[in-house]
Amino acid sequence: METWNLLEYAAWGVSALLALYMLVDWLRVDSTYSEDVLTSSREGELEAITEEHHV
Amino acid sequence: MAHYEAPKQSKASQLIDVLVLVALTVGALFVPLILNMAGAAKTVASPEENPTWESLGQNAVQAAQYEKLGFTPETAHDLILARFDYSFTFGALLVMIAVIVLYYWLMLRFSEVEYREVIAEKFGK
Amino acid sequence: MADIDITSKDIDGMGPHGTKVGLLRVLGPAHIWALGVGIVLVGEYMGWNFAVGKGGAYAALIACWVAGILYTCVAMIDSEVTSTVAAAGGQYTQAKHIVGPLMAFNVGLYLVFAYTMLEAANAITAGYLISVVASMTGYSGELDQRPFIILVIMFLAWLNYRGVLATLTFNLVITAIAFCAIIVLFLSTSGILGGGIMQHAALFEGHELPYGWIGVLAAMHFGLWYYLGIEGTTQAAEEVRSPARALPFGTLAGVMTLAIAATLTWYLCSGVLPWEYLGDGVNGSVAPLFDTARLSGSTGLLWFLGFGTLFATLASANGCINDASRAWFAMGRDKYLPGWFGAVHPRFRTPYRSIIFLVPIALIFALGAPLDQVITFSILSGLLEYTFMPLNIIMFRKKWPMGTIKRGYEHPFHPVPAIVLLAICATVFFAVFLGYGTQLVAMIGFYIVVSLWFHFWRYRFVNRGTQFTMPWPKPAGY
Repeated sequence: METWNLLEYAAWGVSALLALYMLVDWLRVDSTYSEDVLTSSREGELEAITEEHHV
Repeated sequence: MAHYEAPKQSKASQLIDVLVLVALTVGALFVPLILNMAGAAKTVASPEENPTWESLGQNAVQAAQYEKLGFTPETAHDLILARFDYSFTFGALLVMIAVIVLYYWLMLRFSEVEYREVIAEKFGK
Repeated sequence: MADIDITSKDIDGMGPHGTKVGLLRVLGPAHIWALGVGIVLVGEYMGWNFAVGKGGAYAALIACWVAGILYTCVAMIDSEVTSTVAAAGGQYTQAKHIVGPLMAFNVGLYLVFAYTMLEAANAITAGYLISVVASMTGYSGELDQRPFIILVIMFLAWLNYRGVLATLTFNLVITAIAFCAIIVLFLSTSGILGGGIMQHAALFEGHELPYGWIGVLAAMHFGLWYYLGIEGTTQAAEEVRSPARALPFGTLAGVMTLAIAATLTWYLCSGVLPWEYLGDGVNGSVAPLFDTARLSGSTGLLWFLGFGTLFATLASANGCINDASRAWFAMGRDKYLPGWFGAVHPRFRTPYRSIIFLVPIALIFALGAPLDQVITFSILSGLLEYTFMPLNIIMFRKKWPMGTIKRGYEHPFHPVPAIVLLAICATVFFAVFLGYGTQLVAMIGFYIVVSLWFHFWRYRFVNRGTQFTMPWPKPAGY
């Protein structure tokens, strides 16, 4: 049946769109923000906060 | 202990590291496949000529379920008779045990060396 | 308590002053349950039945329960350690603080492997399901499954990219539906409501233990599949509002849910499908619950279980993307992997680079390898991880005895769970050896090679003292 062929093309199309969205957004974010801000996340944040409250 | 200052890694070097890791990963999956050593294939030891449900060892209920699933004795023949081969040699078993023990030993050994360094730097001597 | 000021602004890597963009703390216990059960529930819809093929229906049930014990130990141990070490990366971060950097690197890779392979297996199954639907609705040609496999991975990666709350809320909904589908199928076919179609006695006749007891051992290999991935709940530690409470609760509730679902699934499928068909997940029953619904003769059940299967695969792949990217991100953040991966999206607050990077990797496996191989690699990585856990808890209790640090949850009967877990892991190694010895050796060979690579090359980029981020005193014996 035709419908399933159309669905196949639709799946290809939507996949490509989603991939494109992520790629574009990724490049835009990387060029807008500095690397220092983007990779500033540090482990153990929560522990540090509780420690500040208790010590 | 002296404070260890890690060098900054260049973009190109980062990329190479990722490529190495991906290549190793894909290799680990596909090399056994390509060499055809990916085991656990089932084989039919003694095929039945002109199979019937009885000769395949199926009782009435079992045969009825197969028919509901759309099988005939001919099409179900391989599915029903194929068996795994669980025979193994003790040599191979010993090799496997050795590999696993060696792996964890290596892991704990190297980790311990690195860990002492971490603790020494973090807490001081 | 701690003899170091971990909020120091001078020491690199100390939170929270360093963090400008971090992961978002928005999740509650229900999301943790959805993450844990969501990843695993697909195991009841497909894959577990390879255990039937390995040793017959009874062997699969024994394997199911023994694996249940294994995972109870895993959940107990994990809950204790993770309620104390709450950070993205889960077991990776635990290993880093307790065993050492190289072990941590290996554990991180186990996690990424187990989840990425599982994600690939889910995408393969989803593609297959869509092709079944196509042929059921009268499509005569051969459906190209590839675009659907790619779509599944792309869509879920996109969802993960856009934020964790939406991702796991979506998971909560579809997991709940998939779980209800199993319950409804049980109620309507077991004879509790209306006529039952279960014929256990007649179907088992003459095939009780087709391989004898060695088959029971062999079945252990795929017995893990009933629960594989539940330990992934710890990956959400940095995104949960109160990790010390939500993580143990979500994980233990998850194991109980799964033990129920697994037993019901076994009961339903083995009472309807002959074991040879049920046990062959490639040429026989790819989706056993769906096949059971097919034989029930009810169109409603058929569609419900069809959707249940599809939702279960989606929920699982979704959780896998979430967990694998967290582990990859945590390793990047510590420079165990290139630091580039340690980035957080400033608006969506997700580890976006890790999510994107793992998409093509998942696609390679989903499009290039057969299902049982992918499952085996996932199980092997999981198994190596479970073998690490008893070592981990024993060292944890030794280095920081009870009372020296605050634990969110303390598991009872130590060291019994650790010893039981180690013993069951040894049994599963033997089971894997019986069928997939070559892959086992190839896999461990791979880990040995990358370990040497890490120790002699990669580790130079890692700062030593700063990677230890917990506010704990010096471990005993150092």
